[in-house]
Amino acid sequence: MQTPWWRNRRLLPLLVQAAVGLMVLVTIAFLLGNLVRNLSAAGLLLSWRWLNLPAGFDISETLLPFNAELPYWRALLAGLVNTVRVVLIGLVGATLLGTLAGTAAFSSNGLLRRLSRTYVELVRNVPLLLQLLFWYFVVFLSLPNGPAAIQLPWVVLAKSGLYLGSTQLIDGVWQGSLRITLEFAALLTGLIIHSGAFIAEVVRGGVTAVPAGQWEAARSLGLSAGQTLSRVVLPQALRVIVPALNSQYISLAKNSSLAVACGYSDLYSVAETTLNQTGRAVEVVLILLGTYLAMDLVISLLMNRLNQLVQIQER
Amino acid sequence: MNRPQALTNRLRRELFATPLDGLITVALLLGLGAGLKALLHWTLTQADWAVIQANSTLLAVGRYPLEQQWRLWLLTALLSGATGSSWGLLRGRGWPHSDRLAAAVLVVFGLVLPATLGLTATVQQHWWWITALLIAGRWAAGRWGGELPSRWRRLLPLAWPMLYLLGLGLIGGGLGLMSVRPSQWGGLLLTLIEASFAILVCFPLGIALALGRRSELPLLRWCSTLYIEFIRGAPLITLLFLGQNILGFLLPGGLAPDRVWRAAWILTFFAAAYVAEAVRAGLAALPRGQWEAARSLGLNTVQTLLHVVLPQALRVALPATVGQFITLLQDTTLLSLIGLLDLLGVARAVMANPEFLGRNAEVYLVLAILFWCCCAALGLGSRSLERRLNRQSLRSQP
Amino acid sequence: MTETMTSHPKADDPRTVMIEARAVQKWYPNGFHALRGVDLTVHQGEVVVIMGPSGSGKSTFLRTFNALEDFQKGSIVVDGIELCDDVRRIDAIRREVGMVFQQFNLFPHLSVLDNLTLAPTLVRHRTKADVQRQALELLARVGIHEQAHKFPGQLSGGQQQRVAIARSLCMEPRLLLFDEPTSALDPEMVQEVLMVMQELAKEGMTMVVVTHEVRFARQVADRVVLMADGEVVEIAPPEQFFTAPQHPRSRQFLSQIS
Repeated sequence: MQTPWWRNRRLLPLLVQAAVGLMVLVTIAFLLGNLVRNLSAAGLLLSWRWLNLPAGFDISETLLPFNAELPYWRALLAGLVNTVRVVLIGLVGATLLGTLAGTAAFSSNGLLRRLSRTYVELVRNVPLLLQLLFWYFVVFLSLPNGPAAIQLPWVVLAKSGLYLGSTQLIDGVWQGSLRITLEFAALLTGLIIHSGAFIAEVVRGGVTAVPAGQWEAARSLGLSAGQTLSRVVLPQALRVIVPALNSQYISLAKNSSLAVACGYSDLYSVAETTLNQTGRAVEVVLILLGTYLAMDLVISLLMNRLNQLVQIQER
Repeated sequence: MNRPQALTNRLRRELFATPLDGLITVALLLGLGAGLKALLHWTLTQADWAVIQANSTLLAVGRYPLEQQWRLWLLTALLSGATGSSWGLLRGRGWPHSDRLAAAVLVVFGLVLPATLGLTATVQQHWWWITALLIAGRWAAGRWGGELPSRWRRLLPLAWPMLYLLGLGLIGGGLGLMSVRPSQWGGLLLTLIEASFAILVCFPLGIALALGRRSELPLLRWCSTLYIEFIRGAPLITLLFLGQNILGFLLPGGLAPDRVWRAAWILTFFAAAYVAEAVRAGLAALPRGQWEAARSLGLNTVQTLLHVVLPQALRVALPATVGQFITLLQDTTLLSLIGLLDLLGVARAVMANPEFLGRNAEVYLVLAILFWCCCAALGLGSRSLERRLNRQSLRSQP
Repeated sequence: MTETMTSHPKADDPRTVMIEARAVQKWYPNGFHALRGVDLTVHQGEVVVIMGPSGSGKSTFLRTFNALEDFQKGSIVVDGIELCDDVRRIDAIRREVGMVFQQFNLFPHLSVLDNLTLAPTLVRHRTKADVQRQALELLARVGIHEQAHKFPGQLSGGQQQRVAIARSLCMEPRLLLFDEPTSALDPEMVQEVLMVMQELAKEGMTMVVVTHEVRFARQVADRVVLMADGEVVEIAPPEQFFTAPQHPRSRQFLSQIS
């Protein structure tokens, strides 16, 4: 019995895919065609040679030595290094803060529990950009300068920066073994506090996922609350926590791109300046997307490795 | 055991159970006390709220022409009436405790807040009318809503999309009304337009992507997965950047839509990927037997999706999806980084005004409170909707 | 194939043939040969019970009748319509063939009444009031009348399965398939479901039932089919099958289950 092709249940999936494929191809061809035409009209066809031209702008703070005569690719590299710097320290700080706040949610102290809850609820409902601007413009930029700076043992908080280590005031200017710019400090604080709240929720969810029977068994064996948490519950909770941490870490890495609001020269901020100067929109965007994608892949790979370590061996 | 004794016992148990706890409590109380004292001191002595009062219109609607702002008031009135009526229709007659509380809060907001913010007398009056309209709508719909013929009741949900389109028309102009270009939209108005557009369009798009990702057809699966993973790997600011700079190149010469709509579409495409992941989890939670039962009853694919699969999957996906909407509302602040004058953009422009130099804290505080209230309200609404839906549909246990 | 012993239907059986399966073969994508050439004929009004060890392919075979499973070789004609790749024919078959699942598969987000009325309204385009009347009658027949406005999650397993049967009946099928309908029920609820099925059989519904319930087969079935390893081993009336099975495999199976 011959089945007409439009009713054939084996052919229909192929037809649907062919139709969708055709639509997608036509759309892409249309967009790319326009892109090439418009770019060549503006004299901006895809090329990478401009990366070797001198940058013509300075970067406010950088680990790698940089000045305005060095090529664009070195500027972008310096931006990348800045991004990696803030992301690495941010991940460590946010994890610490999040773990503290997450486990505080199970403390026997009612005030501590409520404080942890309030912290999470406050941070989650206010936009990150607003928080970053607050930290930079309201908190850090209003630090007093010179002799009036806030002086703690081994730490000086002044308007010219944060100084760690052996600090001294020379001619009204502070010096220290390690100087952290306000921009870096503000960005780091904002990112850590913001991601810390989400990581606290992840930790809390992981601990809640451990069956109540585990708590009861541990306590009836005589373990204290602290020992139960650290020896019995947390290792099991990690099974649930580590996969969720992956997405939080990627989120933090992506959020670092808001550094431009704090005046910190991360990859995005340098790229934006590069675009403004060269007009090379397509290439710059490709570099940005590629780099952030690579960062996400690296984080995911590492977290997957960690995940394998943490999974409980089952029969 | 009398009340004060029970209270002290409870306090002792919660705060001073162990010596360590006691220490922590004392330390926290000292710290909190100091912080609150400083905050209060600042609020009462140093804070100067004139910056808010002077710029309230700017923050609310940006540079919308003054003589056309009656259209915005009309829209607000319509929305308030529609909200009140919908609320009333859903609740019916009678005012349960929670409704009375909500109404009281709204009345306080409507009457007291404009005065405390120092808005002009005419504006205050407008807000009184709008609040009154909301409460009146609630009362009238509750009282007479049940008597509406059922055919009308079925058409009522359509009123909201129509109201939305009408709203866009009122804001942008068109037939008869003077057109107000998107570059003149700003402040809270622009934030709400961008967020509402993105939320409305990203939802069906996300559902389509989720269905595509779980499809048995390889091409659909690859396309959806590619799109979702690409978007999830990119920071939003980079995509907004892309939208502003490259979208113009992708369309035949000079046809680029206004910057406001470019950003709106980027927000939509961005959020759709995350909504797709949430809906995908909902689809995965659905047992295969549901599909089989629907097919064996003779329902075709579309009917199965509409009546059996999506209602269940969306219930599971609801919390995560609303979470995405809240994130979307917060992400509109990034528009200020690409030069659009959303609420944050206007605020930063206001703070750059030499007349209001140094008033950053007040402005940021007001913005933070505003966002916090909106997002917390959305979160509360989502949780209560979730509870209501779960009460109805308990999973069948074999 | 040479080892099976079937009782061939008499050539002059006047009843209409509801299912005619010939030499059906099915391979799973991983290469597993699930059905190795099975034949079966089911007449109108017959109750055929399919039994067999797990993995014998009995559920798979049952599910080919309403196209939930496909097959690579052979032919199946259901209610005069041949099963092939034609989507329209498959839909037509599914309208006339009802299925009751082991896991009930009621729609948890709809009330019991809405579970019944959904398909007839959408597929047969009947009016909602008309279907609701019929639905309430069916619910009364299976003994669930008072629960019409409850949700599946609020019912016991036995009640849910009875609702599932009523839901299939609401489409007015010519043939009902049962895939281990009582296997997921607590023992005290098995009887209430079997009684409903017995009633249906008495009223003349054509039924193909995959089950382990020997008592049901003895009392209600017209023929018992034993399947093992993807093949039909023996087909016989229940009195003959349970007391004097012909095939060694049947004897082995019966000794395992009793």
